Amino acid sequence: MGEFIQFTLNGLMAGAIYALIAVGIVSVFKATKVVNFAHGYIIMFGAYFYFTFSVIVPGAEWAPSWLQSWEPAWMVAMRADLPMFSPMGAVLDWLSNLPRILFGLAGAVICNALLGLAIERALMRPLIGQSTFAMIMITVGLISVLSGTKGLIWTADAEFVPHIAPNTPIRFTVFDTPVFLFGADLVNVAIALILFGAIVVMVRYTRGGVAIRATAEDQSTAYSMGISVPRVFSRAWVLAATTGAIAGAILATRNGVSPSLGLFGFSVLAIVLMGGLDSYVGVFIAALAVGFLEAMAQWQFGGEFAEVVPYIAVLIVILIRPHGLFGQKEVERI
Amino acid sequence: MITGNLKASYAADERVLDNGYKQGFVLAAAALCALMPFIANDYIILVASQMGIMLIAVVGVNVVIGYTGLLSLGHAAFMAIGAYSVPILHRAMAAAGLPDAIMPFIAIPGAIALSALVGIVVGLPSLRVKGLYLAVATLSANFIIIFLIELEALAPWTGGLVGLNTPDANLLGWELDTQREMFALIAALAFVTILAVQNLFRTRVGRAFIAIRERDYSAEILGISLLRYKLMSFAISAACCGLAGALFAYFYARILPEQFELALSLQLVAALIVGGMGRTMGPVFGVIIIVMVPEILKFTFGAIAGGAAEVAQLRAPIQEIIFGLLIIFFLLFEPMGINHLVDRGLRALNRWPFARG
Repeated sequence: MGEFIQFTLNGLMAGAIYALIAVGIVSVFKATKVVNFAHGYIIMFGAYFYFTFSVIVPGAEWAPSWLQSWEPAWMVAMRADLPMFSPMGAVLDWLSNLPRILFGLAGAVICNALLGLAIERALMRPLIGQSTFAMIMITVGLISVLSGTKGLIWTADAEFVPHIAPNTPIRFTVFDTPVFLFGADLVNVAIALILFGAIVVMVRYTRGGVAIRATAEDQSTAYSMGISVPRVFSRAWVLAATTGAIAGAILATRNGVSPSLGLFGFSVLAIVLMGGLDSYVGVFIAALAVGFLEAMAQWQFGGEFAEVVPYIAVLIVILIRPHGLFGQKEVERI
Repeated sequence: MITGNLKASYAADERVLDNGYKQGFVLAAAALCALMPFIANDYIILVASQMGIMLIAVVGVNVVIGYTGLLSLGHAAFMAIGAYSVPILHRAMAAAGLPDAIMPFIAIPGAIALSALVGIVVGLPSLRVKGLYLAVATLSANFIIIFLIELEALAPWTGGLVGLNTPDANLLGWELDTQREMFALIAALAFVTILAVQNLFRTRVGRAFIAIRERDYSAEILGISLLRYKLMSFAISAACCGLAGALFAYFYARILPEQFELALSLQLVAALIVGGMGRTMGPVFGVIIIVMVPEILKFTFGAIAGGAAEVAQLRAPIQEIIFGLLIIFFLLFEPMGINHLVDRGLRALNRWPFARG
């Protein structure tokens, strides 16, 4: 029972991060009707940008020393009289890393936003009104371009990156069995949930969000009602790229930085289709469900089975409900 | 100068090679392939064999994407099925005591049949979904099949992560143990495949595929059974990929599961887009480009760097970028591929000097 709770919690935490990644794909689809196969590689870029700005740049010779490790006198004094492995010690470690964490996050978000803008402007805008096939295949071509560019810029892999939050282990007992969590994971989940919620609220209630929904409904009508459709497009791409940057930073702290982060995008694509391409609620439920199922597969059968869970799940769901759990059925005219 | 399509008989109208350019090109290509094993050096044979294997697979992809209009991103999985069938069937036949000399005659059709069977299973979602959903469904199928091949429990048959050693083909006592001899087989089968697929589209089945591509509901109203023809399309295209996979297994000494991952599926689709979808010659042009790009890069890098390690390691990423840019460039500027460029060139040549283009 205790193991079950432990794996359920792990799965739900992974699911929350899936949801944060999925929100990028859904937002782009809602606004532009393009399904971004390359989203995983945009996330990978986010992770590498975070790595650059939180590890490589602070480690450079010309960087100020407080960026590498910020240690004012009071912190040194406080740390001196702490016992080993105390939660306070983890918080202090995090505090001394805080400047470079913030710098890394800011750098990742800004660089990724520029990347998203560039992709939208150069590749997506010329294709407005083209067939779905062309749009999908352009993002497939983008996969190769992004993964090759990564190979040119960053040759080092799988390095340590600082956690976003203090990584204190948290222990508690449920039904007489101990459950074990990390503080950083909880904060990651909180960030993912807050961002997800904020975007849903934004799309529902703000002017920009209404513009996105109007464009999703009918592009030419939206255009004639005074909504700048190209601006909606670029806004959606920036939104996807920035959430991707934060998701990338979180994934980097969990699994290290490596090109395999790009493959993550495909499993998230499966989750998005499972939930229904244009439904935030459906995608959220699907993300948590897949996270949970992956954890169960890992518990019962071993780690390598967890990788195929999203793909098997999406095949089953698509066969039963072709438009996903909560997706809107497309009406086709002949 | 051609002033019109002046055909005097139905036989002339029904010919596959209905003008001089096509006849000239096909005869020249056939002559070149026939001469190649005798005159070409080992390197050219290697590249040409790679092209032949890719070509058979891309012709298969063309059936499903180009002619039937079903977007599939999982065709590398069918190649994997074809490739893995060969050593497994060989082992089974050796256990049954069959002589080596007839094994390929059972193993190659076996590989094709198995791939076609898996193709039908993978094609099942195409009855419910299309477009993007089908792309993701086939992509998922690719991941799942590679996962099954790598699975620890099946490792006694598939070799798991480390792959399998593959046997040499032995055609009635003629052992194809050099790449030169394999090339002869690959070239012959590539010609047969292209001819078979080209002819398929002059039959009822092929026309049904094209009707489904244009509008599936309309095709259904015309009395075309979507169930039957969509699955048939998947089966035929998977069979071609299975043949390519079987030749792949005979050609190389060892096969690894990672050779058949998503990257290969994307390469097949990239070749099709670059060459031109839904045309017989599209795969030929596309495969030439896709196989030549890495080789040209290898030469350029060899000339520039001359063996410097830090420059040489830039080659793989640059090759990836060029693949991606090729897809993007052709989709944005020439969606009908090189085939269309060639068509335009030939047309201009025909009408010169009275008109251009």
